[in-house]
Amino acid sequence: MPPKAQFTREDGIYHSFCGLVSVGWLYQKIKDSFFLILGTHTCAHLLQNTMGVMIFARPRFAISLLEEADLSSAQPAIADQIAEITREHHPSVIFLLSSCTPEVMKVEFEGLAQSVSTPEVPVLFVPASGLDFTFSQSEDSVLQALIPFCPQAPPDDKRVVFLGSVNDAIADDFLFEASRLGIPVAGFLPANHFHELPPIGPGTIIAPLQPFLAKVANQLTNDRGATVMSSLFPFGPDGCRAFWEDLAAHFDLKVDLSEREAASWARIKEHTDLLKGKKVFLSADTLLELPLARFIRAAGAEVLECSTPYINRRFHARELALLDGVRLVEQANFERQLRSIAEEQPDLVISNIITANPLIGHGVVAKWGTEFIFSPIHGWAGVNTLVGLFTRALRRHARLDPLGSDPVWMAGVMPGAPEIIPLTRG
Amino acid sequence: MRLAYWMYEGTAHHGVGRVMNSMRNTHAVFHAPQGDGYVNTIFTMLERTPGFPAMTTSVVSGTDLARGTLRLPETLRQVEATRHPDLIVVVASCSTILLQENLEIAAHQSGLACEVMVYDANPYRMQETAAAEGLFTALVKKYATPQPLTSLPSVNILGPSSLGFHARHDLISLRRILKTLGVAVNVVAPWGASVDDLRRLPAAWLTIAPYRELGRLAAEHLEAQFGTAALYDAPIGVQPTLRWLDALLETLNTVGSRLAVPPSPLKLPPLTEFSLDGMSAPSNVPWFARTADMESFTGKKAFVFGDATHTVGVTKFLADELGMPIAGAGTYLVKEADWVRSQLQGYVSDADFLATDEFQQVADRIGQLRPELVCGTQMERHTGRRYDLNVMVISSPTHIENHLLAYRPFLGFDGADVIADEVSTTCTLGMEKHLIDMFGDAGLELVEPAAAESAEPVLASNGNAAVAPVAVVAELVKPTNGHAPEEQSSNGNGSALPTGAAPSGQTAAVPAVNPVWTADGEAMLKKIPFFVRGRARGNIEKYAREHGIATITAEVLLAAKEHLGA
Repeated sequence: MPPKAQFTREDGIYHSFCGLVSVGWLYQKIKDSFFLILGTHTCAHLLQNTMGVMIFARPRFAISLLEEADLSSAQPAIADQIAEITREHHPSVIFLLSSCTPEVMKVEFEGLAQSVSTPEVPVLFVPASGLDFTFSQSEDSVLQALIPFCPQAPPDDKRVVFLGSVNDAIADDFLFEASRLGIPVAGFLPANHFHELPPIGPGTIIAPLQPFLAKVANQLTNDRGATVMSSLFPFGPDGCRAFWEDLAAHFDLKVDLSEREAASWARIKEHTDLLKGKKVFLSADTLLELPLARFIRAAGAEVLECSTPYINRRFHARELALLDGVRLVEQANFERQLRSIAEEQPDLVISNIITANPLIGHGVVAKWGTEFIFSPIHGWAGVNTLVGLFTRALRRHARLDPLGSDPVWMAGVMPGAPEIIPLTRG
Repeated sequence: MRLAYWMYEGTAHHGVGRVMNSMRNTHAVFHAPQGDGYVNTIFTMLERTPGFPAMTTSVVSGTDLARGTLRLPETLRQVEATRHPDLIVVVASCSTILLQENLEIAAHQSGLACEVMVYDANPYRMQETAAAEGLFTALVKKYATPQPLTSLPSVNILGPSSLGFHARHDLISLRRILKTLGVAVNVVAPWGASVDDLRRLPAAWLTIAPYRELGRLAAEHLEAQFGTAALYDAPIGVQPTLRWLDALLETLNTVGSRLAVPPSPLKLPPLTEFSLDGMSAPSNVPWFARTADMESFTGKKAFVFGDATHTVGVTKFLADELGMPIAGAGTYLVKEADWVRSQLQGYVSDADFLATDEFQQVADRIGQLRPELVCGTQMERHTGRRYDLNVMVISSPTHIENHLLAYRPFLGFDGADVIADEVSTTCTLGMEKHLIDMFGDAGLELVEPAAAESAEPVLASNGNAAVAPVAVVAELVKPTNGHAPEEQSSNGNGSALPTGAAPSGQTAAVPAVNPVWTADGEAMLKKIPFFVRGRARGNIEKYAREHGIATITAEVLLAAKEHLGA
């Protein structure tokens, strides 16, 4: 039985993105894919504004736009669009993502995907709507859709499959580390291409790289009899040591990485000295929050609160065990968090992208949690980047002239709030 | 149903959020799934709001739907307790509107002391602009109260709003002008206005409503209901600003003369008083347009696309004050197309006018025209990058790069200088251009790899594939088979994405294949200055197709150059 972690669940009135945002990295990760979102103007506006930074890239995603006349039809007709996408983008696989409106319309997505799927270009249904999915969570849905296309591995094929999308540099780092420890690797889920999916069977050890993939991990156990490693996620010296030692143990390799961990901590001493005793408040929405809190605590900071959209007692068991004593909140009420922040005066708030500037405006040092999702923070090689994300905001604000904190410098910026009152006690 | 990528306008709930975030002590509540709160990001990131935007999502989850839970009353109570607004506007989202819940009842059940208005914004029928204008007009109708006029001349300024294009800067420019004239500002709305301020609107002598998109209907209501005179023109450019000043003073003096105790009439002060130091030209544009350096702008064509106000204002400015020929103009606000077209009579022919909210149609038109200057939105920057064209942003939607810190209005004398500066720095420079034309690269050639990379989708595979020729093909197709632009777009809409693949649906209709370049042809092309090379390549390929030439040699290139007079 997983240990009984203490966390509270609030009413979920919080700022976040829906699962469609995962498309931002998944379409780039799976290089021969196309992501088609059955959605509305809202979905298109969301993607445009959250992924606007990538406008000069060559996007392999689009919205199949539901307009008023389409609302009355029982099942949307997307065959022409699938044909157009196939003709122009030549994808090996098309992911058909749900969104809120077709969910409310009760579109039968499985059937819709099957009706346009071909053996040459499978069309796979991915639940991603904001009614049920937050931010990175829909990567879980995408990976579940890929399971049937992973070759069946024979029972005696005992190798590791790393679970979660990471960039090529991180993947190379994990391959290198595994070979150094003598751990045989079957591959990554997802792979860079649809036809490179790793074989998975009863002998496979699934090593989760991302903390938002509980369902696909569970399904790999159910469908393929694979073993899901329960460890820390490979963030920070402490996380990496546990991750690799636990993984080695699955291959009957006795590995002691205590020196490696110590050396890694020593390399970031300049950062941890700065973090020592600092009060950190995590109020973000990426689902990376639990391992981030565990790492920053190990680095010497005091974690006042860690909130995250969802906590899975089993999948996050090891992280939760190390967060004993920390106030953990699922689906936090943001207004309550503002009162807590005013009361407890954290030195650093890891927030979501929506609330970062307003928090700073209220006199708080805030850092976008989103940046952790888009940075190479995994593994031994990622330790420096990881800790740097925590200290960068602290250092920058410390260097700025305190003169700038006077509210006068924000006068007139926001028409409806001419004066911003700092978040202070009482 | 159609495939879509870029949207010119935001959603209806974004429009509601813009009005609520502009005003003081008002708040928007979105009855919506959690992701719909993404609109907050646009405010906190683009406007860098130091406060929390005045909008809260009352989350509707799948579990709530299954259980029949309605969180709206609880959310409303929380918003009232934490933000103490005078007014909360509730709006449904594209998904929750299908549930056909009675939000009025839910709002009443919450038992709030503050006013709650459920705004019926059907997201399938209205988008950002219509929702914002509709809500703001409804609020003015609701709150504006009969009252005596102010004793001294005063005006309302309606239209400036959160995330309005350069709205804060325009407001500063207008305030500067009014201060110089000695005219008081009664109320600015929605920017910074409270509900009480809306009540005071009818005290003004006149309403300034410079934006076609926001504030106009409210000004019309004040005119009809309270007899408040209104000035609807946008003072974009020097001449329009002078005319606007005359109209403003004339109307104010007329209003003043009707008062029981008429104040002394307002007079236009010496124009130098409108300058920043009070002793210089109020704008440098009239002289700048006459300088020798502007000679190189002669014959440079511009294409203008944006909302209604800025498309009209900027097109006239370029033509009237900088003397640039207009290759075409248009708007994505399809409902305003007739107005824009009529305003641009004499500037843009009907054939050169484009009204569409489909990004790809605009991109195609720009690809056909290859103008020296594109004035557009953030999307047209995207297109300009593909075609290697000069683009300046004159209208929403914007990118963070358009939200600069310095004072950059579009309205008034100050605005004329800002626009003219943007034009001259966006276009290639004058004498320097001649030097490069005459003597090659002027050391700038080194820059090319980066430029070529960014334009890679266009120039991929020896210029043979890709978007540039597609646009030309579209133009060639049009007269022969009479396809309406809409048909072409629904056909080739996927190429809204810079795919590098030619949409087969269109190429099939064209007999000529894309010409191939020989090595000596490419070498000759290289001698054309890099910043016009992309456009030259397109023109030469067009010439080759029109003349049935399959292979472009150096000889063909020279012939084409002669033919095109380039």
